[in-house]
Amino acid sequence: MASGSGSGSERWSEDLETEVAMAMGTTDVELLKRAWRNEKAAPEILQFEAALVLRAREQIQLLEETVEEFTENGVDDLVVSLYQMDLDRSLFLLRSYLRIRLQKIEKYMIHISKTNLWNRLSEQEQRFAKSRCTDIMEKHLEQSVLSRLPYGYQSILKQSISSEEDDMVPEPQLDTFVFCKTKHAVGAFQLDDTGDEIVDLVADDLYVLRYKSIRGLVESGRIDLV
Amino acid sequence: MYGRRASQLLRELACSETGQLTAFNSDAFDQVIKECNEHNLQLQSLIRKIEDENLDIQTTRNEDHFGAVIHHLSLIRNKRCLMAYMYNRAETIQSLRWKVGPVLPQEIQEKLNYSEEECFKNHSAAIQSYMSELDLDLTVDMVPPKDPYIRVRVLDDIGEVCLGDHSISLTKHSLHFLRRTDAEPFISQGMMEEFLE
Repeated sequence: MASGSGSGSERWSEDLETEVAMAMGTTDVELLKRAWRNEKAAPEILQFEAALVLRAREQIQLLEETVEEFTENGVDDLVVSLYQMDLDRSLFLLRSYLRIRLQKIEKYMIHISKTNLWNRLSEQEQRFAKSRCTDIMEKHLEQSVLSRLPYGYQSILKQSISSEEDDMVPEPQLDTFVFCKTKHAVGAFQLDDTGDEIVDLVADDLYVLRYKSIRGLVESGRIDLV
Repeated sequence: MYGRRASQLLRELACSETGQLTAFNSDAFDQVIKECNEHNLQLQSLIRKIEDENLDIQTTRNEDHFGAVIHHLSLIRNKRCLMAYMYNRAETIQSLRWKVGPVLPQEIQEKLNYSEEECFKNHSAAIQSYMSELDLDLTVDMVPPKDPYIRVRVLDDIGEVCLGDHSISLTKHSLHFLRRTDAEPFISQGMMEEFLE
């Protein structure tokens, strides 16, 4: 995101900095775009990018102020609308990122709250999942279906009282194939537990692989989903 | 045949387009619930019969045992179908919050049963409080922005509306050049459309 404040030499060095950062693909907008893409493509919920979201929001606010200032000072409309467009795009990324996460939470809330995926949620998301979403859905299913079924078949988690584990909980399909792009060479990578399938991941190449096998690489940021 | 009615419920779901909602089929639904309870009665009486004959319920493999198993499995299948029916409908209903907004139009509301209406309201409130915690409206910007401004045509008499720092009067059939974020809520409620030349 271009920064709008500052003047003279200060502005130059700032611009230079952003340019360098941009060349490396590590501006916050780039990072946000990456987080958004990963979240969109991954079947399960990923770690919430708390620091990044905070920075993005700060920058968006700064940009909003800049646009406002420009409008007041009568800066050229074209310039203002360029800034506005930049602002809109960043806002879209942020909103869409948060939305995709909410939709995943709605879908897999029980699964998430039972596993350590729970820790990947932000504080607000946890509140949304626990005291609101899950309770609402449980109450709804309870009063429309479960309470009208015979005793022994009323659990929301189990098919019947004789099931040993929870077999009614929707879980994300981790076996699904995803498109992914390597940033740096990873080298020979084992796709399954038995070691029969090994693929050589070279830098800057596209692959279609099972999400399950590259899960670790996604989490450590060594591969990007597209 | 056991379980047929429940599968018809699901077929109804599968036949409708994604995102579309059919009227809640309470007749079929109640019948399946009744079926479940009948299965349970049969199941219980078979179990009692095995017990009355002083046989061990865990190891007996006579015709009564297999009869009971069939009733048990039919019941479970029915339960899964009912839950899938309700759950998938609920998902569609909740997705309407993003597409239509917090208030459902009359023709959709007629298709819901009482519990579904309540579920929609509560879910809508949940999203609302998440958004206010974040101080960010997530229901706008549903598609990636191309231009910050769009040309719209008003489809309904909306009247005087305050947008940003000025107010404009939105009368039917009038054309306006608005900020996309301002126009989006009206578009999703069907009160405006994007005007393309």
